[in-house]
Amino acid sequence: MKRLIACVLAAALPGLAAAAPGRPYVNDKKAPENRKDLEAIQTALTSVLGKARAATVCIDLGQGSGSGVIVSEDGLILTAAHVSGGVRKDVTVIMEDGKKLKAVTLGLNSETDAAMIRITEEGKYPFIEVDREDTARLGDWVFSLGHSGGFDKERGSVVRLGRLVRMAESTIQSDCTLIGGDSGGPLFDLQGRLIGIHSRVGQQLQVNMHVPTSVFVKNWDALLKSEFVGEGPFAKKPEKGKGFLGLASEAHPDGGLKVTKVGKDTPAAKADIREGDILLKLNGTDLKTREQLQETLKEMAEGDPLEFAATRDGKPLTFKLKLGAR
Amino acid sequence: MHANLLFIPLFATLVCATGSRAQSLESNFRTTGPGVTAAFEPQRLVIQQSSAVVYQGRDEIAYGVVISPDGDVLTKASEIKGIDAAKLAVTIDQTKYTAVEIVGIDPVWDVAHLRVKASGLKPVVYAPTSAVPQGTWVVANGATSRTKRRVLGGIVSAKIREIPTAGGAALGVTLAQPKKKSDPQLVIEELSEKSGAKEAGLQPGDEITAIEGKPVKTREDIAKALKDRKAGAIIKVGYRRKNENLTADVRLMAREEMADQMSRNDQMSGDFSERRSGFPRILQHDILGASRSVGGPLLDLDGRCIGMNIARANRSESFAIPVEDLKAIAGRMLNHAKDRDAEPAAPAPDAQPAPSID
Repeated sequence: MKRLIACVLAAALPGLAAAAPGRPYVNDKKAPENRKDLEAIQTALTSVLGKARAATVCIDLGQGSGSGVIVSEDGLILTAAHVSGGVRKDVTVIMEDGKKLKAVTLGLNSETDAAMIRITEEGKYPFIEVDREDTARLGDWVFSLGHSGGFDKERGSVVRLGRLVRMAESTIQSDCTLIGGDSGGPLFDLQGRLIGIHSRVGQQLQVNMHVPTSVFVKNWDALLKSEFVGEGPFAKKPEKGKGFLGLASEAHPDGGLKVTKVGKDTPAAKADIREGDILLKLNGTDLKTREQLQETLKEMAEGDPLEFAATRDGKPLTFKLKLGAR
Repeated sequence: MHANLLFIPLFATLVCATGSRAQSLESNFRTTGPGVTAAFEPQRLVIQQSSAVVYQGRDEIAYGVVISPDGDVLTKASEIKGIDAAKLAVTIDQTKYTAVEIVGIDPVWDVAHLRVKASGLKPVVYAPTSAVPQGTWVVANGATSRTKRRVLGGIVSAKIREIPTAGGAALGVTLAQPKKKSDPQLVIEELSEKSGAKEAGLQPGDEITAIEGKPVKTREDIAKALKDRKAGAIIKVGYRRKNENLTADVRLMAREEMADQMSRNDQMSGDFSERRSGFPRILQHDILGASRSVGGPLLDLDGRCIGMNIARANRSESFAIPVEDLKAIAGRMLNHAKDRDAEPAAPAPDAQPAPSID
């Protein structure tokens, strides 16, 4: 029943959309017929391209790179789950002018390839409007941006023009050709609104798939809360019990755990935990025995945040770190 | 960063797995479909008259730009590399010309100057500038039939810039590791299959002794001698073979072109131009014909030539020589041909066997 209703709606909407303000008339033609129609597409595209480009970023993961797009002034970024690869990971965002910014991955949906990243450096960032009303229609003229093949300052992000050639519930397809490095980059309508995020391609040039913004809207809160949603092919959940801290401890007679050894280059060492420190609390819970700490860590996974309340030579200290991979 | 890109997964199966609710646009109205390209009929008429199709026997191997009424055509040099001019044919509009002369080559820009016996052709009209905003429509050769050129439309898609030689320009040789410090340092152990060194007849065991007349003794000397040189440039390499001192003209190539393994992005791209880097300046667009459809003019909506297609770089990037540079190249090549023809000692073009390109 639900499916039927949805079908009816989909059929009724194009009529409504045609009347939507700002929608270029050429979208409601089967094809551009003459120079005037072609120029209508060109004029719309060139008038919004600068703003769209300023908000398009490269996501540098050290091991590779993808793309993304800023959707709020304080630096919220939409990208693909197979780009962010996990939650609460540190990544670098590169702006069109080459400026590098620190950022952290928020939530992702591993079934639909949707993910969020937040720039953690304070600032006012160029951003674009998200089409939250799902107004894009089959055949609409669209353009894609992305750092094809990686960041190249001399070139900038690459713009491609095409049409929406296939629409399904959690995937839209365009004939704007994509390539490695574009993943996570934005697909825009001719009004410069974000309608999709680049996800994957088929062998044919015409098969370029994007996650529609409706998928982001549906998952918005979970993504904002850094949740790892689903068990799909686009990201793998870190396994519980495989997280790594890198210290040895023993119960301390006056309470807490005394650190007896810290491994070199481990997450513990990087957080400046030292031999002799007394760990009193982990994420707000009192620490009493070594076994208790081990049990707690067993329930956690790589990337999970830890906050220790501790003392060193009687002085209180706090350590914030993330579990590494074993 | 380029070495390890976050890939775009190839998910061929997902396309059909999305269920019955999916709507699909008929191919006629997709960006490359005839229903859309019909809007470019005025520009197609220009392509029909002012672009050329270059054939080897019956196979289309490249397109070309008509630059004079008298049969001068520019095309992409590397696409006709190694082909005897006698085997080339050129079609302009509906006329096929089977007597084709290769007049000259510009190795840096990878442009070849062809000439056929014709008069009254309609050469391209140059656009005043290539500095147009990104997102501006451009039109280029699509497929062709024997008599009719088709077109594809796209947009200017990135900044005009230099495309440095991918991996640097190189001879394409692997040097043997000397056993002792006093041994010669520059003995060739292996040659890349596609290298200019192999083309020029160098062999394993040859010892490189000089580059462009300057003696070289170490790997650093070679690196220094090749630094800042472009792919396509021909350099004189001195070498010793069995106590005999010889020289060879070696065409430098981009290291990337000689690599045996394709990157993931190249696998994804399928068809791309063999020579796609080492251009002093290019205009980038998103028209993706087959690699053999490179060499023709890139037009603006006024039908003026804004550039010459010189490489399909990958699945999402195509390069054209910007009109300013194209005009200079065409002028240079026409003048060069004029000087040559004016030399009284030179035999008439007809009497001269057509040179093949090396």
